[in-house]
Amino acid sequence: MFVLLLALIAGVLIGLVSQISIPAVLLSYLGVAILAALDSCLGGVRAALERTFSDRIFVFGFLTNTLMAAFIVYIGERIGVRELYLAAVVAFGVRLFNNLGAVRRLLIDRPGAE
Amino acid sequence: MRFFRRYPITLMLVVAVFGLMLAVAFNTTARVNGERPARTTDLADVVTEMERQRAQLTAQVSKLRAESDDIDSQAAARLGEKDSFDAELASTRLAVGLTRVQGPGVVVTLDDAKTMPAQSDPDQYVIHDFDIAAVVNALLAGGATAVDVNGQRVVATTAIRCAGTTILVNQTRLGAPYTICAVGDSAKLDMSLNSDLASSELLGDYRVRYGLGVDVEVRSSVTVAAYKGTLQPGVATLGKGE
Repeated sequence: MFVLLLALIAGVLIGLVSQISIPAVLLSYLGVAILAALDSCLGGVRAALERTFSDRIFVFGFLTNTLMAAFIVYIGERIGVRELYLAAVVAFGVRLFNNLGAVRRLLIDRPGAE
Repeated sequence: MRFFRRYPITLMLVVAVFGLMLAVAFNTTARVNGERPARTTDLADVVTEMERQRAQLTAQVSKLRAESDDIDSQAAARLGEKDSFDAELASTRLAVGLTRVQGPGVVVTLDDAKTMPAQSDPDQYVIHDFDIAAVVNALLAGGATAVDVNGQRVVATTAIRCAGTTILVNQTRLGAPYTICAVGDSAKLDMSLNSDLASSELLGDYRVRYGLGVDVEVRSSVTVAAYKGTLQPGVATLGKGE
């Protein structure tokens, strides 16, 4: 678990130190993409703990989730239903908490876990 | 490497990418939020800083002006024309408003109304740039030799104008109450204030109707401040003839 935390901190540090930022109009895309990425990460942890992790499924899942989320925001803005991004937020939010619950159960329920 | 068996390298890479996205979102939000409020505060800071600088430069101008006069007078002394030079310099400085002036005159104070009835036009209850201009014009028409508004000497290039809630005289912001000092024949000045259409309305009708704090005081000795700004001719050059 600590390795993952280190990876997360490394990513945040790279972003903060390099001072990368994007145009303000793209912020809503990034927000939904972040939610999708967080969901993918938790899903990956869950799969790793369940020992069903597959590189290919995970990486594809991550890419399609993030891109689809951004695409939904784009479509919403194009057809004048800006609230469409809520669909992505709700969907990923629910999945996120499902995965979080699964990870928690896997971590606590296994006797002799590190 | 039992860590890698448990948490594959791809998972860690993706988690790192997720962290990077978080940081980018954080950077962007900080930048966007920082931009807008900062601009108005920056502007206010710039104005305050500029005004501070101007005060410093004004003090420097007075000092340099005194030094320059000293040098001119020394040079004239060496040429043996000191007395006539000094006299000419003094009268020129007096004429263009570079010296403090004292003499009989009037002091006019203009202040906004203390109270204002509900649902009335607030514009009617405050002193405007044109009110000050009306009084200054009436005083000059009455033969005033020197006039200042809150210590800002009225000279040939003086503009009296409105800037938001303040009034600019010699590009300096002034706030109510406004004290206008004029040196001249007190009786003539007083008469001119009461005969000029704009100023007599302000001192009479409007004072009563809107409760403006308007007051005229005749004094045996009034001091009018010196002009502290620059007298740079700018793009002007000497005309031909005369």
